[in-house]
Amino acid sequence: MSNCGNGCSCNDSAIDNVFLPREAEILRAEQVTASEKHFTLKMKDGKGMDFQPGQIAEVGVFGYGEIPLGFASSPTRTHSFDLVVRTVGRVSTAINKLEKGQSLWVRGPLGSGFNLEEMRGHDVLIVAGGIGLCPTRSLIQYILDRRSEFGKFTLFFGARTPKDQLFTDDLVQWRKTKDVVEYHETVDKGDDSWKGNVGVITTLFAKTKISPDTRVVVCGPPVMYKFVIRELAKLGVPENHVYLDLERRMKCGIGKCGHCQINDKYVCVDGPVFTYSDIKHLEEAFA
Amino acid sequence: MPAHFIHETDFREFLKSLIASKPVIGPVVEPKSTGDKFIFDDVTSAEQLRLDYDVSLVPPKAVFFPPVQKLLEFGPNGVKSCINPREQVLLGVHFYDVKAFDQLDKLFNDKFPDNNYLANRRATTVIASSVQTVSKHAFWGSFGKDVKAKGHDGFLTKVQGGYVYETFSQKGEALLKHGKFGNASTDQVSAAKRENDAAMDKCQEKVTFTPAEISTKTRASFSNNEMWKELSKDCFSCGSCNIVCPTCYCFDVQDKWGLDQVSGERYRTWDACLTEDFAKVSLGGAGGHENFREAGAQRFRHRAMRKLTYLNEKLGGPACIGCGRCTSACVPNIANPVKIINRIMKG
Amino acid sequence: MSPKTKAKVAFFDFTSCEGCQIELTNLGEKAFMGLLDHIEIVEFREAMSEKAQGRIDISFIEGSFSREADRKRLEDIRSRSNVVIAFGACAATGGVTALKNHMSDYSEAVYGKDAKMPHLDSSFALPVSAAIKVDYSVLGCPMSQAEFVEIVSSLLHGKEPVIPNHPVCVECKKKSTLCRYGQGDHCLGMVARAGCGAPCPADGIPCEACRGFVDHPNQEALVKVLREKGGLSEERAFNKSRIFTANLRSDAVKGAGARKE
Repeated sequence: MSNCGNGCSCNDSAIDNVFLPREAEILRAEQVTASEKHFTLKMKDGKGMDFQPGQIAEVGVFGYGEIPLGFASSPTRTHSFDLVVRTVGRVSTAINKLEKGQSLWVRGPLGSGFNLEEMRGHDVLIVAGGIGLCPTRSLIQYILDRRSEFGKFTLFFGARTPKDQLFTDDLVQWRKTKDVVEYHETVDKGDDSWKGNVGVITTLFAKTKISPDTRVVVCGPPVMYKFVIRELAKLGVPENHVYLDLERRMKCGIGKCGHCQINDKYVCVDGPVFTYSDIKHLEEAFA
Repeated sequence: MPAHFIHETDFREFLKSLIASKPVIGPVVEPKSTGDKFIFDDVTSAEQLRLDYDVSLVPPKAVFFPPVQKLLEFGPNGVKSCINPREQVLLGVHFYDVKAFDQLDKLFNDKFPDNNYLANRRATTVIASSVQTVSKHAFWGSFGKDVKAKGHDGFLTKVQGGYVYETFSQKGEALLKHGKFGNASTDQVSAAKRENDAAMDKCQEKVTFTPAEISTKTRASFSNNEMWKELSKDCFSCGSCNIVCPTCYCFDVQDKWGLDQVSGERYRTWDACLTEDFAKVSLGGAGGHENFREAGAQRFRHRAMRKLTYLNEKLGGPACIGCGRCTSACVPNIANPVKIINRIMKG
Repeated sequence: MSPKTKAKVAFFDFTSCEGCQIELTNLGEKAFMGLLDHIEIVEFREAMSEKAQGRIDISFIEGSFSREADRKRLEDIRSRSNVVIAFGACAATGGVTALKNHMSDYSEAVYGKDAKMPHLDSSFALPVSAAIKVDYSVLGCPMSQAEFVEIVSSLLHGKEPVIPNHPVCVECKKKSTLCRYGQGDHCLGMVARAGCGAPCPADGIPCEACRGFVDHPNQEALVKVLREKGGLSEERAFNKSRIFTANLRSDAVKGAGARKE
């Protein structure tokens, strides 16, 4: 890292630069839907990536920029980590053109993740909409890897259409192992091959029994949150047991640049995981 | 704090020696481009320095946090940090701008220390100076006046016959060797105090409520949509109020290739939460997006919240230091915090 | 397009002064030569006599679409080009040529007895996008050199160019440029799309919004401010922003917007 090859005048001093990313090698890159690509990465400096489920990383390609992404694998699987990138803007488009053997540049882990200590010993429900399954997959894997430490584990996943479903290998597995994870899925719009539930994600609450002592994690498109929260209130789940994983424009990832602010909170450092009781008074939290 | 005195007649020699020793930045006028308005810029001669200035167009935060700042350089062989501070003296900062430094110091240090700012801050000796001319829209005499400036290394006060120079750090004391400073007399020290106290009463604009009252009422006014619409009706979302604000520190980060199209740089640039795209995110699908503050009124409100209530607890006072720059910069005359505060308090 | 193979680039002009192509030749030698390592110019009548044959990677079109007879030529350029870029204000928005859209008495005044000649016959001046799909625009009158470089550089890397949606005021304030309104003058900077670096106010000249409006300009407040602070008459305040944004204003002629795909 001592020479950028530009013959420039900048000095490579010992002063820490919070914007300096680390290089990660792409071990695996797989196009999983028309717009989403699944990467498995390993840090090149050998120092690993010591994160908690729910935390984020700023992931970039030089010349294009950086975007915030939640880790999509569990830290219990230590040799590498996963990210899933949906092609939406200039950075994600550039990332999704990369293949095995190429590099991404990563800063992190950043932000605060799910409170695992609070969840341990209790029932857990994860409600994931669309690409919201990616950051929660980190927690799903974590729970599956330490299954005995948790109570009943239920997972709701909603996608726009069957073709938009992510981690289809995982889904096949989860559908089969009801005693390990009680998995329910829905799509907004079915197709000829779809035999499952059609409707918004809240229709899945009728499919199972959720105890009021459940710890609930919600992650999905901005519009989803208030409807899920309403269902949870009906079930009597306390507000401080509801964890919301929020998305905003986290540009710097270190609580400075201001773009991700919800009222006085910086999503990138105060979140992206918040308990509902912590942010219910924030008018800007729910669009 | 030790107080020193330098005669008016020796002051020019002091400046000359100081300028010869290291770069000095201070309030100056560029007759060609800034007319009779002041900017902080490199001072190349003692005559150029204008300690009688009222307020600068852009706040002196630009010395540590420039409008465009390179963060990294990248190229075929990797990436390189670009933190490269210059040892320098920033002379003639008014106390209200020092209060803004105190806030930025805290915020850039918070959780993840940002040395792109902090290294410049550490490499700079900050010498404050007394306000000799009060700018038209200033209201620092009343608003947040209990919060004292802390982050300066020395303070120059113009008194009869010369300057009282108080030092607050070794960096401040290190300047003494450049001039014929003697010990300030008790009379001179009290004259300096009188001078600085008197300035506090000279602002034409005044806020009559306490920061605590304003904070509570502002936060409670969040859902008063009619009021925010009324206040922002003529707003252009132009961001001028943000760009000239000494306590605004939001920025955008972008990458740019050089002409060789292989190497390039990652840089940050001042951003403004009043502008339309500030809180917009891409969602994918058919080019969809979500703008978390889509209406101009929401963005106008966000600025008021940031300056008057959100950060108060963290900063120990309001994030507005009363310089009045936003009032001057706002073309439709709606950014004046005094007017906004009065409207909020009216309910 | 990979940076390794040179992109074929061509320039075409329609209703315009060709000033944007001239402005391109003013691009500093360093920038121009730097880009020429990555692009090959196959048609550019301001600087060469060759005509492009076959496929073109990037076509820059200068000038507005003001004659139905031009549609075919535009469609031909579109069909031969991978990327079409509106080059300068006239092509991007109709620019200054769209001033005619709100006038009817200029022909005789300008052309005298020749006013009725068939080659002078034209309809509304519209952006090129009213006739064909346009991928990007280099804004400005003349076009912004920096934006030209940004767009070409971005295309070489398959990146969406960064075009600001904040007004010129941001750029003036960052540079400590004196506000025209503080100098007893007027300005359109509050509604004008930035990206030019605000050179005009820095030279003491009001911004005329040659790069068009930001996405959502506050047009009512603009008229109010031009009148009350800029000292313009009611009528002039109302018409003021037409010089470069006639097709972007809320009272633009029908069809002035982009063609729907």
